Amino acid sequence: MHHSIELKDVYVRLGHVSVLEGVDIEAKPYEFISVVGANGAGKTTLLKVVNGTLRPFKGQVSVLGHDLFQFKNLDFLRRDIGLVPQKSNSNRFPILVEEAVLIGRYGKIGFMQRPKEVDWDKAYEAMKIAGISQFSKKLVHELSGGERQKVALARALAQEPSILLLDEPTTYLDSKSQSEIMETIHTIHHQRGLTTLLVSHDSRLVEQYSDKIYLLKEGKGYLIK
Amino acid sequence: MSWVQTLNFPFMQHALIAIFFAGIAFPIIGVFVLSLNLIPLRFAMMHVALLGGAIGLFLKVDPLLSGLLFCILSSMALGPISEKMKLGVGILSGYFMTLTLALAFILIYKADIHVLQAFNILWGNILSLSGLDLLFVIGISLIILSIVILFFKEIQAILYDREIALAVGLPEKFFYYLIIFMLGLTIAVSMRLIGALLIDAFVLLPAMAATLISRSLKQTFFFSSLFGLLSGMAGLYFSFVFDIPTSSTIILVASLIIAGCFLFRRGGIPS
Repeated sequence: MHHSIELKDVYVRLGHVSVLEGVDIEAKPYEFISVVGANGAGKTTLLKVVNGTLRPFKGQVSVLGHDLFQFKNLDFLRRDIGLVPQKSNSNRFPILVEEAVLIGRYGKIGFMQRPKEVDWDKAYEAMKIAGISQFSKKLVHELSGGERQKVALARALAQEPSILLLDEPTTYLDSKSQSEIMETIHTIHHQRGLTTLLVSHDSRLVEQYSDKIYLLKEGKGYLIK
Repeated sequence: MSWVQTLNFPFMQHALIAIFFAGIAFPIIGVFVLSLNLIPLRFAMMHVALLGGAIGLFLKVDPLLSGLLFCILSSMALGPISEKMKLGVGILSGYFMTLTLALAFILIYKADIHVLQAFNILWGNILSLSGLDLLFVIGISLIILSIVILFFKEIQAILYDREIALAVGLPEKFFYYLIIFMLGLTIAVSMRLIGALLIDAFVLLPAMAATLISRSLKQTFFFSSLFGLLSGMAGLYFSFVFDIPTSSTIILVASLIIAGCFLFRRGGIPS
């Protein structure tokens, strides 16, 4: 069985700054992997490498059996990777929660096609799992930070991905909301049979949920659990 | 002469048809500008058009056509260049804005072009549209409306969050460049309609009013088109009745609509 995510000797430079210097990370199917490190350690960069929005200048990156260097356009692969970004969208764009979650289906619907009933069903199911069904008719910018984070999570779930990438999903949340969202993520990981890669600055928070933990420090990755 | 009698004149019929199409379609571009924060880009394109106009005068070709051409070319180039150089469109717009303005001034000075001739491109006149101008307005309006109807979901995702649109597997760059290209086309044609300096009457102000009262993107598009049509028609009517400049009157009506929407505010201008 191939790894879901495999990074070998990956080097990334942003401008003149070396961010990743020979990072090796592996995630087998259905594993929950956490990458911890201080701010600026390159955690978000690592996620960008995995979902193909940033190309390393050296190394090997394989996701779901595809060598990312073999493809110019990775849209097909991104449809199978759910991403929950660190910054939940905070602008005042007029969009209902249910519409924001439905966006997760857009990559799979096809050009000039409208969302069908099955897409709406999957969006509503994702909202239910993320615990935001009661907000479906609210505008996203009317929600709190934690609720918006759940909208991002529901959108990623509606995508029905094989891999879930989470970028500091608990930042800016109080401790109660932090535990709540980590529990939700963990439940979803098992229920959906996902390979999950979560990055966080807080190793204590992720320890009990993770099969493996890597520490990212000075551009290198160290397996610490 | 009464208002109704003026409708017999071709120039008035052209103006009404242009306002109908531009009033409905161009505010949709304004929604793109507000949501993606493309205001600096809009300024840059106006200045690129000025350089195009100056080059046209220098080469003895129609400055309006050369202005349009430069505007369209810049709209095709700015998106990809900003991505290649890893600079935000805003920063690149500032660079192009000052560079093209400086080049235009040098050309105007060296080629002994009458300054007012060059700056004429910044002032349009909706009452002097030719049949060809009208075809441009109708054509571009139909292109904008068709793209929005056919690709609504892709556009919605990109206006909401470009990062998310990319992450769910949409060709985000293609649609972003398409939006910038449509903005270039709209600015190019609006210059002929009401002049570069008053483009906001059709593009931005109705969209601003719509974002104040809308709860979805569809509502925003609908209200921005409605307000664009309303301010255009009412502006034309009041400019005739009170004998004041048409473009300025359209802006005054659009500003009043914004003030009205502010009172009924439910949504908010995207930040």
